[in-house]
Amino acid sequence: MPRRPKFSAKFLKITLALLPLAFATPARSAPRQKPASPTSAPAPKRDLSGMWQYQGSGGAEGIAPEKTIPPMTPWAQAKFNQERPGYGSRAVPDGNDPILQCDPSGFPRVMLFPLPFEFDPAPGRILQFFEREHEWRAIWTDGRSLPKDADPTWFGYAIGHWEGDYTLVVESSGFNDKTWLGATGYPHSEDMRVTERYQRVDRDTIRYNITVDDPKAYVKPIVAPERIMKLKPGAEMEELPCVWSEENSFTKRIRQPAVAKPHP
Amino acid sequence: MKFRLLLGLSVLASLLFICASLQAHHGNTAYDPDHPITIKGSVTEFVWSNPHCQIYLDVKDAKGKVVGWSVESQSPGILRRNGWSRDSIKPGDLIAVTLLPAKSGAPVGFSGEKTGKIVFPDGRVLKMDQR
Repeated sequence: MPRRPKFSAKFLKITLALLPLAFATPARSAPRQKPASPTSAPAPKRDLSGMWQYQGSGGAEGIAPEKTIPPMTPWAQAKFNQERPGYGSRAVPDGNDPILQCDPSGFPRVMLFPLPFEFDPAPGRILQFFEREHEWRAIWTDGRSLPKDADPTWFGYAIGHWEGDYTLVVESSGFNDKTWLGATGYPHSEDMRVTERYQRVDRDTIRYNITVDDPKAYVKPIVAPERIMKLKPGAEMEELPCVWSEENSFTKRIRQPAVAKPHP
Repeated sequence: MKFRLLLGLSVLASLLFICASLQAHHGNTAYDPDHPITIKGSVTEFVWSNPHCQIYLDVKDAKGKVVGWSVESQSPGILRRNGWSRDSIKPGDLIAVTLLPAKSGAPVGFSGEKTGKIVFPDGRVLKMDQR
C-alpha cells in the first residue's frame, strides 16, 4: 500500500496547520455559520427575488474579525479612538454606538443583522428592502456608472451587474462617514467604496462577500469573511424602525439597569 | 496505525476547540453568555415594542423576598415569526424564563436566540429563534 502513507501525511499536514486556528481566541466579531451546501433545487438564472436572511449569530457583528482588519490611517485612528462599542475587543456596557440614538446602521452594516431583507426587481434596478430600520436602497442595473461626486448619504449609491447567470456584483459609493462598519466599531470615510458579490449557489442559498475599499481610512481593503444568506419562503417583512421614544424607554428600563449595581 | 491515531486525535481536538470557541462567542457585553439561568415568577408587565420586547415579573429569591426582574427579549418581528403575539404573555401569568443574567448582578436578563425560552405551567413553550 505505497499510496496510503502519502495520503495520510498530506491530511496530517493540513490538520496540523489548522490546529493553531482551533486554539486561537475567537474574535467576537467572527460570524458563526454553517458552510453553504448546495443541496436544494438549482438557482433560477439572474434572479435573486424573494425574502432572504443572513444566517448570523445575533445582530452584533463586526464587518470582519478584528484581527483581520488592516491598519488604519491616522485620520481613521482618531475616529476609532472616539468609539466605545458594545461588542468586540473594546466592548463597554455604556457605549456610544450611533445606532443607540437611532442613527441608521447605514451600509454595509445593515447587511450584518440576521434579519430578513428582500430583493424586488423593478425596471432598470433591483430594490432591496431591509426589515432592520424599515430601510431600503436601489441597485441600478441599467448600465449607468457611479456618480463621480455624489452627496454623502447613509446608504450610498449602488449599481449592479450580473457576472454569469448567478452572481450579482454591486458597487456602491457616496456614503457619509457617520456610520460604523459593525457592532465592534471601526470607522470609514466618505471615500469608502463597497463591492458586494451575491452568488446564488442554489435556490435557497446566497454566498455573500463584501470588500470595503477606503484608502483614506485603511491601508488596504477590508475583505469580509463569506456570509451565508438563506431564502425564507413565506416570511413576511415585519416593522422594525428605530423610534426614539421606544429606544429611550428601552435604555432607561433595560440597558441602564442591566449595568447598574443592584441595591442591596 | 499510530500515524492514523494521531491524525484522528488531532482532527478531534481541532473540532472540539473550534466548537468550544464558537459556543462562547456571542453576547451583549452586559450579560453573561456562559451561565444561563431559569427564573420563575408572576408577570407584571409585557411590553410588545421595538427594539426589544420586555417582560417584567416578580420572582421570589432564596429567602422568599420578592424581586422585580426585567427581561429583554427579541423584536416583535422575530417573536411574531416564532408564533408570538402581543397577547402571548399577560400580567398574572406564571412563567419560567430562561435567560442570560446581567454580569452586574442586577435582576435584569436577556432571553433570546438559542438559550432563551419561556415555559408556561401547562408545558407550553415560547421560543425566540432568529432564523
